[in-house]
Amino acid sequence: MRFVFGVICLSALLLSGCKFPSLGYNKGYAPEQPIAFDHSLHVAKNNIQCQYCHNQVERSKHSNIPALSTCMNCHLQVATGKPGIIKLREAYDKGESIQWVKVHMLPDHVHFNHSAHLTRGVNCQECHGPIEKMSRVQQYSDLSMGWCINCHRKPENNAPLNCTTCHH
Amino acid sequence: MQEQSTESAPENRPEKIERDTNYWLSLEHYAQDPEFLKLGSQEFASSPLKEGEENAIERRDFLKLMGASIALASTGCLRRPVQKVVPYNKQPEEVTLGVPNYYTSSYSDGVESLGLLIKTREGRPIKVEGNPEHPNNKGAVSISAQASILNLYDPDRLNGPRKNLWNEKRTNKDTVTPKWDAMDDEISAQLKKGSVVILSSSISSPSLRSIVSEFSQGFAAKHLVWDAHSNDQLIRARKMCFGAETLPVYQIDKAKLILSIDADFLATFLTPMAFSKQFSKGRREIEKMSRLVSFDSTFSLTGANADLRYRIKPSQQLDVVMAIFSELEKQHKVVVPAALKNTLDEYRNRISQLNMDGKIFAEIAKDLWENRGQSIVMAGGIATQTEFSEGLFCAVNCLNSILGNEGKTILERPAVASSSFADIKALITSMTAGKVKTLILHKVNPIYHLPESFGFAEALKKVDMVVSTADRIDETSQYANYIIPDNHPLEAWGDSESLEGVISLQQPSIRPLYDSRAFALSLMNWGFIAKMGPKRLLAYETYYDYLRNYWKEDVLPKVAKGQNFDDFWAQALQKGFVGSSRATAGKNSAKLEMLSHYKASESVGPELVLYPTVMMGDGSQTNISWLHELPDPVTKITWDNYASVSIAFAKKNSLSEGDVIELDVNGKKLELPTHIQPGLHDEVIAVAVGYGRTKVGRVANNVGRNSYSLVSDQGIFSGQKVTIKKTSRKEKLANPQGNQSMEGRQIVVEATVAEYQKKKSANIHRHHTWSIWPGQEYNGNKWGMSVDLNSCTGCNACVVSCQSENNIPVVGKKYVLEGREMAWIRIDRYYTGTPDNPEVVFQPVMCQQCSNAPCETVCPVLATVHTDDGLNAMVYNRCVGTRYCSNNCPYKVRRFNWFAWNKKIEAPLNMALNPEVTVRIRGVMEKCTFCVQRIKTVKNTARLENRKIKDGEIKTACQVVCPTDAIVFGDMNDPNSAVSALFKDERAYALLEEWHAAPSVRYLSKIRNNGEEKRHSNSEEHV
Repeated sequence: MRFVFGVICLSALLLSGCKFPSLGYNKGYAPEQPIAFDHSLHVAKNNIQCQYCHNQVERSKHSNIPALSTCMNCHLQVATGKPGIIKLREAYDKGESIQWVKVHMLPDHVHFNHSAHLTRGVNCQECHGPIEKMSRVQQYSDLSMGWCINCHRKPENNAPLNCTTCHH
Repeated sequence: MQEQSTESAPENRPEKIERDTNYWLSLEHYAQDPEFLKLGSQEFASSPLKEGEENAIERRDFLKLMGASIALASTGCLRRPVQKVVPYNKQPEEVTLGVPNYYTSSYSDGVESLGLLIKTREGRPIKVEGNPEHPNNKGAVSISAQASILNLYDPDRLNGPRKNLWNEKRTNKDTVTPKWDAMDDEISAQLKKGSVVILSSSISSPSLRSIVSEFSQGFAAKHLVWDAHSNDQLIRARKMCFGAETLPVYQIDKAKLILSIDADFLATFLTPMAFSKQFSKGRREIEKMSRLVSFDSTFSLTGANADLRYRIKPSQQLDVVMAIFSELEKQHKVVVPAALKNTLDEYRNRISQLNMDGKIFAEIAKDLWENRGQSIVMAGGIATQTEFSEGLFCAVNCLNSILGNEGKTILERPAVASSSFADIKALITSMTAGKVKTLILHKVNPIYHLPESFGFAEALKKVDMVVSTADRIDETSQYANYIIPDNHPLEAWGDSESLEGVISLQQPSIRPLYDSRAFALSLMNWGFIAKMGPKRLLAYETYYDYLRNYWKEDVLPKVAKGQNFDDFWAQALQKGFVGSSRATAGKNSAKLEMLSHYKASESVGPELVLYPTVMMGDGSQTNISWLHELPDPVTKITWDNYASVSIAFAKKNSLSEGDVIELDVNGKKLELPTHIQPGLHDEVIAVAVGYGRTKVGRVANNVGRNSYSLVSDQGIFSGQKVTIKKTSRKEKLANPQGNQSMEGRQIVVEATVAEYQKKKSANIHRHHTWSIWPGQEYNGNKWGMSVDLNSCTGCNACVVSCQSENNIPVVGKKYVLEGREMAWIRIDRYYTGTPDNPEVVFQPVMCQQCSNAPCETVCPVLATVHTDDGLNAMVYNRCVGTRYCSNNCPYKVRRFNWFAWNKKIEAPLNMALNPEVTVRIRGVMEKCTFCVQRIKTVKNTARLENRKIKDGEIKTACQVVCPTDAIVFGDMNDPNSAVSALFKDERAYALLEEWHAAPSVRYLSKIRNNGEEKRHSNSEEHV
């Protein structure tokens, strides 16, 4: 009995080793990416539409990370000498992919649908913040359930509040 | 007409019974067995609370400790592990992440070929559904076609070709992976030596048949078609009677009276999916519904659905037809030739031994005569493969002929060549004599399917080279020199002839997972290397090219002459099939004289019946856990085969459920557990085939026993004399239903046609419920479902579809025995009437989505709540597993994850999971949600297209595969929807409506067309 209690306390202490402010949420998470893709350069400076790369976002639950072929549409010509682009081109030529680090992570039991939000007129920025100005993508909202519900609950949004809206 | 034998109720039945015993679930229930009643009072078959364990932590203490540790731990961070997102290198044109693509395809078991729609996500097939446009199955899908998806992802499949290295004694020394080129060179060099035999099962693909015949032409090879369950006797009898080798094409929807003699056409005989569809169509309009009469030597699915079912033993099959003949003669409907008169006289004696009221045959004969040209008499399947089967099939043909059914309700199509047991024996003889130098085996497993006495394994050793296309090292391919795995049908191009004139395309929906190669391409390659064979065989590099060319040269001119081929091909791919059915009307030319030489013979004592089940079929596709956990439609037993015997037989031999007995069939012995099956003939021992594989994979190895070992050397399956010896052992049979009693309430309502004509809501006891609360208002949609018990045949297709759609785990025999099965939809089977010859009703039960759901009020954490479209939601991530909801559910549809089943899913089986449905973890309750993910998908599409959801647009998984269209789903708030109309039907009633749980499911009562005035069990007894 005492032994079990000891083990549980010890493991709890070990788990509390690192410090992070928002208790398990990933708000502010901005991991380093294999290629330092810069949204501010592409969107804010060069005025490329979000849907040019994330082209399936209007018809799918996922907002797709563009295939390398999409990048190469421009980068066959543009900025070909930069180290990131060289890395991209090498991977593309070899038929390989780039392993991006996932920034926005939802648990498996949550089914979020991008297209359903876009058709209701929700802007990318409402959840992703000033993404067009980010040189390295970071998680803007905490993506907690409370955060989702707060928006769904607003009468003007007329959004469903059923559990099955996200969980099934 | 009903056979009555009321005295035979078990003696130990107590006199005073307070509960309604018209319906009973199992014999223990009928007999009010104290063990069973104890189970009933316990509600759950097993308890998680360990009793008497010392030093164990009390549960509450454990929870306290856990609470403390969580409080401590959550002060720190829980950084999630880094996940990677890997985009495509080149964007595939047709893939949208998260949006399924459907591809038309087809699936064939050799006889029935089904048009399919394969649902794929991100390039991997996740579900098999029927093609609603297809003229054969019209959207229905068989269990085996649905389960073939697990066969695709089977971890026990070979990942490439194999070579078995032999020692001097020709036993396997080692198995290595050969190089393709060297292997092909060696095989084609060997093929050049001649004496090549190809042994395959029935090939329904016209292009593959063409390749095989061109290959055979090139190498002077012999092609032998052999099926474990062949219809060759049926075909030969049609040749004898009508002059051509044909297969019957029954038009069941056009028949008013169907008489089946051991032909299980709703489950396994010929084209069960098409037949089920037609059968339900012929019974939808109750005023004009057809009647099904069945003479059954097993308790088959067809027998269970019959309006009138009579139990016989296999040797009496011919007697039944002869009895009808003599009745027809007696009633002066038919003039019988003098020669047959004597034979019929002989049979008259036998008929008296059938132990049936003579009036039965008089009435059936009268009924058949009144419905001439509108009736069908059929016999077939391995239960009719007796020593009398030729006579039986000829007699059936003659009967159909004089009734004028041939050409009206029975059409025909040319039969593709099929060999008999005599042919396979001849092959074994020539193999033993060393006359076969190369043997190519395709989709056959003779060592499993043939009894050892045939000596196939020994004969194989005399063959210089054996090449097998099996996808695994199985019973036969372990003796092959080379195993070149064929592609799975979902990975390969192909075609199949579903009906005469209708050819379906088989389109791959995934690239081959392993280093496998299509059988057709192997033949083409060997022909090319040896430079032998006609030009067409050698001209193409892939099977796809050959197939396209075959369609251009052979198919296009037949079905769409003059059309541009590319257009034709694109349309065929989109539609999944080309052409229309061209079954022809045969001649009513069978001569009665021919029956006179089938003399009656005496048969006493118990007889063996072998029968295929809907799950296993011939056992060729069995390493699939879904199929093993699926309860048999009638016995409801999972994970086993067994010897079914009647109650009287069991009493006579003092057998009880699970006693292991040794069957002795002419010296061939097999030990099996006993199952006491109500409604069997007292001199019948029925055993399912398809079990007892030894080298198929981790799921099915040594599950059940191989009853093919009892087949006689003449290829006789049933009707063989059998003696039994009781052993001292006992085995438990895993029946998930015995612990779900319905305690004499109005669960299944039945009425006869006569009662229905008087009052459409016959036997339904309406309850007037009231509440002091006004009830919830549903302003948008309110989803509802109706299940027509009169259409449902209990075939289990919905159960597999639900399992595939909703990622439902399989628990295995041990946990089925403990009552922990996970199926979200189950089909309850109730017996009614006398135990000697009961009738059967089937009832699919899923979550009833109650408006006043009893489960919701007891959940302490609000993990199950109501949605504003009337669904009873289950939130897995909120559930803490108190199981209060399951306790409070009156329908027992909630299932609890006792263990982390999902962790046992081995790659690549995880690819078959549906990404739209959360994979539940241990300790979580789960249940049917009316396929809420499908509702959501359609809702989203409708919103994207800015329109309303159309009625019938949302189809639940159980509904979409149902071969009888018994399940209808829709919006109850839409007064014009199909489901609203059915809710208003007078036959509609809710389960336990007196409890005022207000379910959103309505059942439509079952109507029996058995000529009786009144149901023997009516609901007046119901309180």
